[in-house]
Amino acid sequence: MEEKIKNDFEKIIENSKFSNKDIELKRDFLNKFIVSGFPNKKLENWKFSDLNQIIKKNIGDLSFYTNYSIPNKLNPSIYIDGLEHNKIVFINGRIEKIDFKYEEKDKIQISDQFELKKDTKVTNSLINLNNAFANKYFKIVIKKNYSIRKPLVIYHTTNNINSKNINLRLDFVLEKNSSLKIVDIFNDQSEKNFINVFYNFELNQDSILKNYKIDQIENNNIKYSFNNIVQQENSVSETFILSSGSNFIKNEINCDLIGKYSSAFINGIFSLKQKKHHEIKTNINHLIDNTKSYQLIKSVLENESKAVYQGKIFVDSKAQKTDGYQLSKAILLNETTEFNAKPELEIYADDVKCSHGSASGSLNDDAIFYLMSRGLNYTEAKKLLINGFLLEVVEKITDSQIKNLIKNMIGLKE
Amino acid sequence: MLKINNLNAKIKNKSILKDFKLEINPGEVHAIMGPNGSGKSTLSNILSGKKGYDVSGEILFENKNLFKLETEERAHEGIFLAFQYPLEIPGVNTNIFLKTSLNAIKKARGEKELDALEFLNLVKKKAKELKFEEEKLNRQLNVGFSGGEKKKNEILQMSILQPKLSILDETDSGLDIDALRIVADGVNSLRKKDNSFLIITHYQRLLDYIKPDYVHVLINGKIMKSGGPELAIELEKKGYESYN
Repeated sequence: MEEKIKNDFEKIIENSKFSNKDIELKRDFLNKFIVSGFPNKKLENWKFSDLNQIIKKNIGDLSFYTNYSIPNKLNPSIYIDGLEHNKIVFINGRIEKIDFKYEEKDKIQISDQFELKKDTKVTNSLINLNNAFANKYFKIVIKKNYSIRKPLVIYHTTNNINSKNINLRLDFVLEKNSSLKIVDIFNDQSEKNFINVFYNFELNQDSILKNYKIDQIENNNIKYSFNNIVQQENSVSETFILSSGSNFIKNEINCDLIGKYSSAFINGIFSLKQKKHHEIKTNINHLIDNTKSYQLIKSVLENESKAVYQGKIFVDSKAQKTDGYQLSKAILLNETTEFNAKPELEIYADDVKCSHGSASGSLNDDAIFYLMSRGLNYTEAKKLLINGFLLEVVEKITDSQIKNLIKNMIGLKE
Repeated sequence: MLKINNLNAKIKNKSILKDFKLEINPGEVHAIMGPNGSGKSTLSNILSGKKGYDVSGEILFENKNLFKLETEERAHEGIFLAFQYPLEIPGVNTNIFLKTSLNAIKKARGEKELDALEFLNLVKKKAKELKFEEEKLNRQLNVGFSGGEKKKNEILQMSILQPKLSILDETDSGLDIDALRIVADGVNSLRKKDNSFLIITHYQRLLDYIKPDYVHVLINGKIMKSGGPELAIELEKKGYESYN
């Protein structure tokens, strides 16, 4: 792989307009990635999902080269109907459209020329890979006191590519008392690629971020999505993950609560069939007093699917009055499914409230009998129970418009 | 309407019902009384098609072999079981459940399904009759309901689904006197010449409000004595001991 990746890298550098400084930094990231390679199960973080093996088995040899100078044709039919929204469209990792038409122009600042930094606090080999190969990275700033009027939908689409590694990155800054709603929609028309998405969020005082990540459309790609969120005083982040469509996806959230009264909410659904294997990994770092985090993950697993939830709550010695909570529940519809939960609490303060729980089991036969005795057939009874089980997570979504959108998407319509 | 011949039921090799016989004609109300463990709930479960029992014998419902029908098909045919312990179903809205259920049955019978408005009008009327707080119908099915509310909800379902044969499995347990009266009124208002009831109970109490045509004493999986309403009063005085 080493020679291939180096050649692909040089080809990208040739065809791009990176500054010399950036090229040097990118080369540095590349070398770091080459040393570590794709993460494997020897790493604690990856022990349930050996990405190196998963890529080998499902894709084989990857190509890291993409010619970003050729634009891709937009296909408006993928846009969500009946929801006024701002758009960013990625096709094969290239940004084809940035459209904030519903917003005041001077309240949103978009720049594609911001400097790569050598020392990112959060790092892993996939972020190194991302930094080495991502084309342009845009930085989007929501100005002070501005609340975005319509949600921003980011379309992640692929077409006509195969065995490629796609890296993309976006950075968001929410200035004081601003708010942003993002819906990520994955819509793949191609198969067997490794897609690596990296978002950085800087939440300043009193700002609110809502990020709804929807991977629902069936596809055979391997994905990694990393959200790094840093939160100042009294800021709120809400992350919702619908993990369903891809062959493999690992959603990782790192959240640093560095300002008092900041809070982070992470809610997720795994709805898996066939041999899909999905993971959610969270790190919530309570680094100052009076912060709060809440996590609820529910899974419905069928056939030979596998879901993994690794949720970590770290409480610094300074972080008194921390309120941390996480719960995962899984319904296993077959004996061949697998659910792995690894809750981790690392607590160095003494005045904290932290709890975690995990439960998994099969569908309740008595409940099925009850519903069937009222005239529903087995399939209908099962569906009603599963929808009821998942509804609790969807009900956590605080944006009612997007809540309804997601309910419609997964058939929870009332 | 219902003919049970030589019904034997075992669970994990333990014999529960032994050569059980019962015949219910249209319009009749039968009460089965018996001590704990006599097989009362097994009987109601088997009639509704619960899995896990090893059964032999014959059950005919309107001349159809019940053993050949799935649980939901029995509901479509008009059998209704009011559960002793109605289940809490989180995340499932009571109204939506009721509508899904009613329309599933109507569809199976080839009748016109109700639209949202028609259904709401019906459910409102029925809830009012049973003094069931309408607001509760917008909650998750039985979640956070008191014991009495759960039982009333069963009777509400019964009155909406209009079954031919209603089996009430210890519906009176956990009900206070007022709730008991409301439930009994609900049952009595459904009594018609074509509708039959099988009331399973420990106590005679419910039978003060719902007058049965026949009373049967079930002991150790067998009917030991059958008679009219006076048998319930006799049982209340003498207890089950004398039948052992």
